[in-house]
Amino acid sequence: MHADKQEDRATLAARYFDGQTSRLYHVTLSVRDGMAVLAGDIERSCPLGELHVSERSSHAVRKVSFPDGAYLEIADQAAFNDLLHDTGHRDGWVVRLQQSWRGALLATVATVLALWLSYQYLLPVVAKGVAYAIPQSVERQLGQGVLDFLDKHVFEASKLAGARQQALRQQFARLATPGNSTPEHRIVFRKSKIGPNAFALPSGDIVLTDEMVALMPDDEAIMGVLAHELGHLQQRHLTRRLIQTSAVGAGAALLFGDVSTVVATLPPLLLDLKYSRDVEREADDYAITMLRQNGIALEHLAQVFVALGKLDQGTPYLSSHPASAERVERIRAAQR
Amino acid sequence: MDFDTNNTTPKREAITFSATGSEYFRIWIVNLLLSIVTLGIYSAWAKVRRNRYFYSSTHLAGSSFEYHGNAVAILKGRIAAVVLIGGYNIALRVSPIVGLLMFVLLAAILPWLVWKSLQFKLYNTSYRGIRFGFGGSAKEAYKYFLWLPILNTFTAGLMTPFLHQRLKRFQHTQSRFGSSQFSFDATVGSFYKTYLLFFALLLGGLLVLIFVVFGSVFASFAAHANDATKVGSLLFAIGALYLWMFTVLPLFLTMIQNLIWNHTRLQQHQFQSQLTWGRTTFIMLTNLLGIVVTLGLFSPFAHVRWLKYRLEATSMLVHGSLDEFVAATGQQVSATGEGMADLLDFDLSM
Ligand SMILES: [Zn+2]
Repeated sequence: MHADKQEDRATLAARYFDGQTSRLYHVTLSVRDGMAVLAGDIERSCPLGELHVSERSSHAVRKVSFPDGAYLEIADQAAFNDLLHDTGHRDGWVVRLQQSWRGALLATVATVLALWLSYQYLLPVVAKGVAYAIPQSVERQLGQGVLDFLDKHVFEASKLAGARQQALRQQFARLATPGNSTPEHRIVFRKSKIGPNAFALPSGDIVLTDEMVALMPDDEAIMGVLAHELGHLQQRHLTRRLIQTSAVGAGAALLFGDVSTVVATLPPLLLDLKYSRDVEREADDYAITMLRQNGIALEHLAQVFVALGKLDQGTPYLSSHPASAERVERIRAAQR
Repeated sequence: MDFDTNNTTPKREAITFSATGSEYFRIWIVNLLLSIVTLGIYSAWAKVRRNRYFYSSTHLAGSSFEYHGNAVAILKGRIAAVVLIGGYNIALRVSPIVGLLMFVLLAAILPWLVWKSLQFKLYNTSYRGIRFGFGGSAKEAYKYFLWLPILNTFTAGLMTPFLHQRLKRFQHTQSRFGSSQFSFDATVGSFYKTYLLFFALLLGGLLVLIFVVFGSVFASFAAHANDATKVGSLLFAIGALYLWMFTVLPLFLTMIQNLIWNHTRLQQHQFQSQLTWGRTTFIMLTNLLGIVVTLGLFSPFAHVRWLKYRLEATSMLVHGSLDEFVAATGQQVSATGEGMADLLDFDLSM
């Protein structure tokens, strides 16, 4: 043996497994002339190019695999890193990123940014595209059961006279709608246990409660409410919202799914609130355009929110909506 | 019986897990970013990276485990899963009949997929250079993953403990390490006992909660119908309900995992699992709290904590030596194992 000092330094202890039996061999590993040389319980050598080295990490065991399935386990990370360095081995960029705290911090910032950007800009566009791509008949089926459910649990038949109902329907039908397509819709009147309310279902039903009709100062205000709900239908807000919440839900489940489903249900709920305020503004804008087109003063629409604003806070109609004062302000600004 | 001929007392070899939350956090966040940026494609590589790290950090008797899964095979599996689940959801929307057809199709292939993914998972795990493996037949897979669960729905779930025992027996007797078979001897009765104890505790606690907490909530409703106290006490009641669920659920988890692993052996080597209720509950509750407070950033730490506790509560009573296992004969295992769809994260309750 002509072992000189330099080679001694580069020899390190390893555990060898032959890939055929579970027997443990204690060996030493050294590198000579581009060959990995094992000595000890077993003697073997192999060109460096044919070996596969596992990724660097500070707490997992490092492994070197031979082409035939045999492999080495090396516990002394620092010495092995030196040896690898001498052979010119270089970690991949993902590993380098993973091993540095600065890389991790950068990745954290980038991840938060990517999530925020896709929630803010990508998701609404995708949800809109998907919502418009779904045939209206499918969308109708989606919302079919909702009214039946509400009728069973929340609503009673309307106490409003049939003639009055018919008059309101006809008055709304005479109005021209903005844009070139009018969404198919049906106005239904119900008496509710939850007070003044109006909303549109994906099935095309616009539900107006008796209490809402009574609350409105005049029929033009009711037209404003209906125009607002038609705006929701036209822009397929409910379907878009359904798509968005399920996408956020799926994303959250992917992120935290391993640990708890309870945690995964929180983000969609929180994010949904902000979304609904944006959507209300869009529907208000639709109503503004529609009333203007038909020569109805916007003040009637403003009066809707003045009336709603006087109600006790906590009415379901208001909970997910922008503050009434803010909406009145916007409508009056549009009027000027 | 193949017991140790020297008749020495068994040597306890505990599993140790050397991964740390801080190192896994860095791996996790980089993987997460790359997965998002590549619209999920990278997630297959991320899974390989994560598993390699965890497997290489798991030690038994001085040697660590190794993961060999191939990212392209995993990606293929994931694409297939997305297509199947997406197709099912679209079909359901289009018409109930198409949806039903798709459901039948899914039910018909799901057991096969679960079986294949079990094979994939075990075949791609090795220890001391010897790969694990999973046998069983397609017929058995359909029996345990389809027929028995369907039958169970007709018994209002009364068969669940029986089904659970059969499923674990199937998994643990069909698994092998090299050419050595695992065995499983927990009885159906012991599963029923565990389930019954769990339900008795769950219901008992719920009854107490309903009488004490909800009783006082309703009383406060009647006394002063102030909005703030109403909401406050209702939230308190719901919180108490959740807390109880999070206290009893870990009990079931610990009991069932201890039961399963204390009745599993590899040849003459017996496994032991010593999870405790208190520690499991503590870890689960603090993990949940940590994740909520940090908006998810704690989740890799939570994952490592939980895994470390579960793994390190497990040990092996080694009779004789771990040096004598041999790889399965021939390479036919690799032919079935390679390229297999890894659709579901199915594991041996570990
Ligand atoms: Zn609205």
